[in-house]
Amino acid sequence: MGVQDLERGGLVETADGSYEVDGVAARFLARPRSVSEASQVLRAAAADGLAVTFAGGGSKLGLGNPPERADLVVLTGGLGQVLEHAAGDLVVRAQAGVRLADLQATLAPAGQWLALDPPEPRATVGGVVAANASGPRRLRYGTVRDLIIGITVVLADGTVAHAGGKVVKNVAGYDLAKLFCGSLGTLGMIAEVIFRLHPRPASSAVVTLQVEGSGQARQAVGRLLRSTLEPSAVELVVDEWGWPGRLTVVFEGIAPGVEAQAATAAELLGRVGEAAVAGPGQTEAALSQLGALPFEKAEYALKAAFPPAELAGVLDDLVGRGQRRGGGPVSAHAATGVLWMASGAREGDLPADSPAVPWAVREITEARKRLAARGGSLVVVKAPPHLKREVDVWGPPGDAIGLMRRVKERFDPDRRLSPGRFVGGI
Amino acid sequence: MTEQTGQGPEPAHERASATQVGARGPEGLPDEVGADPGQADRATEGAGRPEAGVAVLPAFDDHHPPEQELIDDCVHCGFCLPTCPTYVLWGEEMDSPRGRIYLMEIGRQGEPLNDEMVRHFDQCLGCMACVTACPSGVQYGKLIEATRQQVERRYPRSRRDRAFRALIFRLFPYPRRLRLLRGPLRLYQRSRLGTLARRAGLLDRLPKRLSAMERLVPDLGRLEPVPEVTPADGPRRRRVGMLTGCVQRVFFPQVNAATARVLAADGCEVVAPAGQGCCGALSLHAGREAEAQAFARSAIDTFEAAGVDQVVVNAAGCGSAMKEYGHLLRDDLAYADRAKAFSDKVRDLSELLVELGPVAPRHPLPIKVAWHDACHLGHAQGIRTQPRTALRAIPGLELREIPEAEICCGSAGIYNLVEPEPATELGDRKAANVLTTGADLLVTSNPGCLLQLRNALERRGQRLPMAHVAEVLDAAVRGTQPSSLLDR
Amino acid sequence: MDRQALIRRLEEIVGPQGVISERNQLRTYECDGLANFRVIPSVVVLPETAEQAQGTVRACYEAGVPFVARGSGTGLSGGALPVSDGVLIVLARMRRIHEVDLDNQRAVVEPGVLNLQVTKEVAGDGFYYAPDPSSQQVCSIGGNVAENSGGAHCLKYGFTTNHVTGLEVVLPDGELVHLGGGKAPDPPGYDLLGAFVGSEGTLGIATTVTLRLLRKPEAVRTLLAAFEGTDQAGDAVSKIIAAGIVPAAIEMMDALAMEAAEAAVHVHYPEGAGAVLVVELDGPEAEVAHQFDEVERLCQEAGSTTIQIAEDDDQRALFWKGRKSAFAAVGRISPDYYVQDGVIPRTSLPGVLRRINELADERGLRVANVFHAGDGNLHPLVLYDGEVEGQEERAEELAAEILYACLDHGGSITGEHGVGFDKKQYLPKQFSAEDLDTMQLVRCAFDPDGRANPGKVFPTPRLCGERPGPRRVHPAEQAGLAEVF
Repeated sequence: MGVQDLERGGLVETADGSYEVDGVAARFLARPRSVSEASQVLRAAAADGLAVTFAGGGSKLGLGNPPERADLVVLTGGLGQVLEHAAGDLVVRAQAGVRLADLQATLAPAGQWLALDPPEPRATVGGVVAANASGPRRLRYGTVRDLIIGITVVLADGTVAHAGGKVVKNVAGYDLAKLFCGSLGTLGMIAEVIFRLHPRPASSAVVTLQVEGSGQARQAVGRLLRSTLEPSAVELVVDEWGWPGRLTVVFEGIAPGVEAQAATAAELLGRVGEAAVAGPGQTEAALSQLGALPFEKAEYALKAAFPPAELAGVLDDLVGRGQRRGGGPVSAHAATGVLWMASGAREGDLPADSPAVPWAVREITEARKRLAARGGSLVVVKAPPHLKREVDVWGPPGDAIGLMRRVKERFDPDRRLSPGRFVGGI
Repeated sequence: MTEQTGQGPEPAHERASATQVGARGPEGLPDEVGADPGQADRATEGAGRPEAGVAVLPAFDDHHPPEQELIDDCVHCGFCLPTCPTYVLWGEEMDSPRGRIYLMEIGRQGEPLNDEMVRHFDQCLGCMACVTACPSGVQYGKLIEATRQQVERRYPRSRRDRAFRALIFRLFPYPRRLRLLRGPLRLYQRSRLGTLARRAGLLDRLPKRLSAMERLVPDLGRLEPVPEVTPADGPRRRRVGMLTGCVQRVFFPQVNAATARVLAADGCEVVAPAGQGCCGALSLHAGREAEAQAFARSAIDTFEAAGVDQVVVNAAGCGSAMKEYGHLLRDDLAYADRAKAFSDKVRDLSELLVELGPVAPRHPLPIKVAWHDACHLGHAQGIRTQPRTALRAIPGLELREIPEAEICCGSAGIYNLVEPEPATELGDRKAANVLTTGADLLVTSNPGCLLQLRNALERRGQRLPMAHVAEVLDAAVRGTQPSSLLDR
Repeated sequence: MDRQALIRRLEEIVGPQGVISERNQLRTYECDGLANFRVIPSVVVLPETAEQAQGTVRACYEAGVPFVARGSGTGLSGGALPVSDGVLIVLARMRRIHEVDLDNQRAVVEPGVLNLQVTKEVAGDGFYYAPDPSSQQVCSIGGNVAENSGGAHCLKYGFTTNHVTGLEVVLPDGELVHLGGGKAPDPPGYDLLGAFVGSEGTLGIATTVTLRLLRKPEAVRTLLAAFEGTDQAGDAVSKIIAAGIVPAAIEMMDALAMEAAEAAVHVHYPEGAGAVLVVELDGPEAEVAHQFDEVERLCQEAGSTTIQIAEDDDQRALFWKGRKSAFAAVGRISPDYYVQDGVIPRTSLPGVLRRINELADERGLRVANVFHAGDGNLHPLVLYDGEVEGQEERAEELAAEILYACLDHGGSITGEHGVGFDKKQYLPKQFSAEDLDTMQLVRCAFDPDGRANPGKVFPTPRLCGERPGPRRVHPAEQAGLAEVF
């Protein structure tokens, strides 16, 4: 049974050409409403030899290389149910298309939440897993891989497979859930996920520090990490004008705990610079701004990941010590070793024929080299397709690339799932 | 020169002393060991090395094989591994308590007692650290003891190995023979021949076992015999018998003297029967059952005759063996009950002192002390807090703990003589750990450990004053200057 | 290659002192922490460096011989059970700590380093390594990686997989690859590190491991609360979780487990208690102080008869020692026992415990329960006497029934001990054929010839198809021994 058969059943529709995956127009769109429908769709795509890409909220479709082909886009929005919330067990099972915001709203009445705070407002659960999206609170709670405990996937040939389960502690079988974290739809479709949950913190406190330069940033973060304080997030923001930047330290938990921690942190950071515990209004504002990535208007954006002790050097490399050299705003999970930077160029500023394109390519390549020397990596998380053709968005894949290719070959032997989108052209 | 220092004066004395005490003749051992340095080297590589090519079947006979019930207590959890000195050194299963118990088990099931199996039993130090670590309560001490008895009785060791072991057991358990050795040894030490020989690297050319023996001999001081009866200072609280030991008596006479004084100061009448011999610890721990039993009977007779409330021991290895007399003589109708009663009376010095509580005031000793738990005190007797309590009662004394305290220093009875290589490695490891404490004085409760550690520190070119716990307590009771402990 | 030739080849790689081939010596390696299954390996190799380990694996590959990796041999699922025609690669001599980088909160260690050794190494600087299986004093980091070991504190801090950030791995063909970011987060590419941790030695051998170090919490407080029975103790657990408290650990022991632990370490458990909970909170002082009071109150509400609070580190250590020696200590109250490791949703605790007792009564056997109550990881210890006709069979039956009860409640057949050899026949009860086939895809990518720890985890030997490329018939398939995946 091919895609056209499903089209008759309404499960698949022919696209009008407006749905694009990173500049590649889709021929068909599918909206399965159940795992078995998703399986049907993928079986049909296999029969017809169609290349398939999966999309949830669509916020990460620009991540990775443009796929070589995207014949069929499977939209997961129809898989929109929170299947089970076992509050007493701090576990939730949800379909991939559930929006993260909706999931959090479902969990809130029980005083619980899924401890993931990626900035994308439209993100779906499946998309968050596939793109390995994270936010500032990863410092305390980790990333998707640390919270996912079970998964249901649909493979390229339509096979439905599960791994993990509904219990937090479980070592039976291989941990396929982790393998799918960040796999960007190249191994299969994520259909359902099971997460462990955390109690929603009752209270928050914020300490801010004005940071004059990279050395001071490193010093402040170093002091926090060596202390017994347990911040949920340590965020550094430097705007396009350069230093000074602002360090925001968030404490969450019960009121007496966070107040005491904030006071200690303010004192600790006070020895580095001008630190203050935020007042009630400021706290709200700081929390609502937390982790926001100012990429929307940028032509391209970069994500640097590095050993946290390298913070000062990375800031020097990327932000510069004095005058900015045309970069956009920088936002870092400063204690984790993750930094996001928008280009100074606004969207549309760098058409394919712009003389600034080679300059941007050089900047990215140089920055990547410097990061590699510091034990880190640089990923281009947003760029127009013509820029992506000039620069490898993922960077050098390391010595495990052969093994990654073999994994891909086993899961997707016909190379139909977002071909070319992932590292090393996987 | 090698031959002179290695065997020159010794054979005559060994022979003489052996005939003196009426033991059997030494069978010309020393002539054989070391006669040809090259051959002797091979002969002394270690016990039961695969030179023999022997396999004894069945591995164990019916006379007290390692008991199946005790073997079954082991659940194979492995908690003993990190505390076993040989596992720490080599990381091999068969050189761990779990592996050795496994060897006992397969021996019982029908595998032969061959060179390899014997080697792994021989390489066990018998430190009993595994007993401390074992959550299942496996009585490894009884298992290895039974196994060693089987090995000694039934496994044909190579001739040279047998000869060397015989030499040890003709010498060490006999204070009088040891004492006869003192004269020539003192002369040797004073002549600085030893230092010269060591510098010239000559000793390195001695067979490993013999050079191990040479290096272990301490600098010998004056003999200080302990009176047969030392009255209690003030009212008598107990009448205690005191084991004067073999190595302790000959090489560390001042320790026995200090022990008697401290006991007397805390209200004990101390009886040190003149006729006492070896307690049999070395023989027991080496699997020489009959020999150990003979020593045990003799010790029981001697102390019974002395009519004491308790028997105090200042050497950990001896105390541990004497507490096992009940088990050792369990088949001896005439002695079984007496042995058990005797064992119940045995106390380590620190154990008794803490039990009694101090009477004599302790004068301040402002020194930093590293306490080394002798395995046969800490692991075998479970005595860890008492010596610490006794030392802490001295004003101004600061007690420092040694890292990896549970790992043996490598002395282990005759181990550093028969297995010099691992013993040396363990000694080095312990010395390094001791030095990290930054203590002024190293204190322990076993003559073997003292010899071993002094040697290991010397190898590093480091000197650290050492004392037996009795000497420290004695200094505190008598109010002598700390220098009496530190400047030596 | 015949055995002698292989031995010579291996001796060239690791030296003669690193190869064991004598029968008595080999037999000491015939089982790991689970002594129910025994196989004598053909050869044991003890490499001292990553290079030697790689050489050993490559020699096995070239000789067409399977291999099994082993650390301290403390596993409880027979995961390190040798194969009779294979090489057992023991990593106990690879125990160097290469690097401690406190600024990045990482330690880089060899696989034979013992779990507790890592904490000892950094404790002086106020750091520790969080995963703490009960065997932490002896189990090796390499074994922890293979099994994704947990421990008492994983309720709050997660498992080995959450604390390993980088691996150097020898693949079954001898290729050396690096997985994970090491000191840097979010390395681009598949999370093969996540797939490798917990793969029970079936994907290769980790030769270097980068571990996350945590700052020691400002405050730690521990209490031991006694209850009439496990129902009340279970109720206390539910109340604590419902109050939004995430303790560092909540451990439960029933009367029989207490009896055993008492004999081993003399904790002085309250007399007549039917169950005890050990609850530990850690974190910032102010938070811990507040929540500890609440935990105490909740335990009382649930009917706790006595509550002891650890006064100092020594007493806390004693509470834990009792708990951590409980498995082996059961050897003191029963000639034989079988350690089970099932998981259930925490809320099913009372029901499943009752079911276990019923099942035990039906078979006339006793079950001691020790478990990580916070995360529903049960360790029922089925006591039996192998000398008594039929008891061992009944014990095995009971152990299986307990697993089925766990699965009936949506749980798992293993929370931390692994599937290994012992439980592979139960894996299909938890996962469908499709699920297992999908897991096999990973196996085939790493180890297409099935050389790494064959016969473990998965119930039937399956071969990896030769895709892509022309398909050849595998000799085992021809012989009808295996089916092609």
